[in-house]
Amino acid sequence: MQVHIEKVDSKDQEQAVIKAVEITDEISGAIELLEGDAKGFAVSKEGKTYILKASSVYYIESVDKKTFVYTKQGCYDTRYRLYELEVMLGGYFMRCSKSMIINLKKVRNVKSQISGRVDATLINDEVVVISRGYVKEVKRRLGIG
Amino acid sequence: MNKLKLWLEQTMMISFAIYVGIIIEGVVYSLFPGGDLASFSLSWLQLLSVILTGVVCALLTVLFLSYNDISKKDFIVRIVFHTIGLYAIVSIFGWIFKWYTQLAGFIMMTVIFFMVYAFVWGVSLWFHKRDDNKINKALESIRDEE
Repeated sequence: MQVHIEKVDSKDQEQAVIKAVEITDEISGAIELLEGDAKGFAVSKEGKTYILKASSVYYIESVDKKTFVYTKQGCYDTRYRLYELEVMLGGYFMRCSKSMIINLKKVRNVKSQISGRVDATLINDEVVVISRGYVKEVKRRLGIG
Repeated sequence: MNKLKLWLEQTMMISFAIYVGIIIEGVVYSLFPGGDLASFSLSWLQLLSVILTGVVCALLTVLFLSYNDISKKDFIVRIVFHTIGLYAIVSIFGWIFKWYTQLAGFIMMTVIFFMVYAFVWGVSLWFHKRDDNKINKALESIRDEE
């Protein structure tokens, strides 16, 4: 496969376009790598430490200065702070309130409430709140803002 | 910065809605027997007062209804205070700038106030709905189903 690299002026302009006949395992791997899903980070549960792939995370929450990571398999805790994970994971992981980072890839739909908050239903039917102030950033990350 | 933007947006929306209300009032006035649309006019001070009312009402909106994560009960309380506050501002400004001089005019202004209030809410909800649709469409293309 030919690879073309074009220099751009800012991070906002960075993008990767893949032209392929079909999505092979190699291409899926490249997509994961580019979107940051292949990144892993250490979490722990019941005294055991695991390396969690970013793509398995639904959302990350900070409660009483502790950080909890939620996946389909359950909840883990991690030593990382929210702001560290926000920088580390990037891509479709974004702050949706002061105490939460959401993985946009795990959101089924969003619905604005009359009070101004936005309810995001995840693919496991759990509902988390996106503060209205972060909606603009959601749109920017999705390329519609 | 977000609150400043919200203030400006609300000012424009409220002022526009009041002008629409005035146009409706003019049309209604012309439909009454003996009513003459040509004689329905506003002074420049009254036009300016509409924008001034929009600025003050929008400020109240930013203070009471800026987008925080609030409970439904808290939101209802805020809405009640917001409505009463806006009605008081419009009534006082209406009295100062002579939007009404008699009880009939005050009643007409009250009707217009609630029409404008409903209009602004309707437009805000429509904007939110439009945002939801755009986001949901974009989410479909990146969703990671398991």
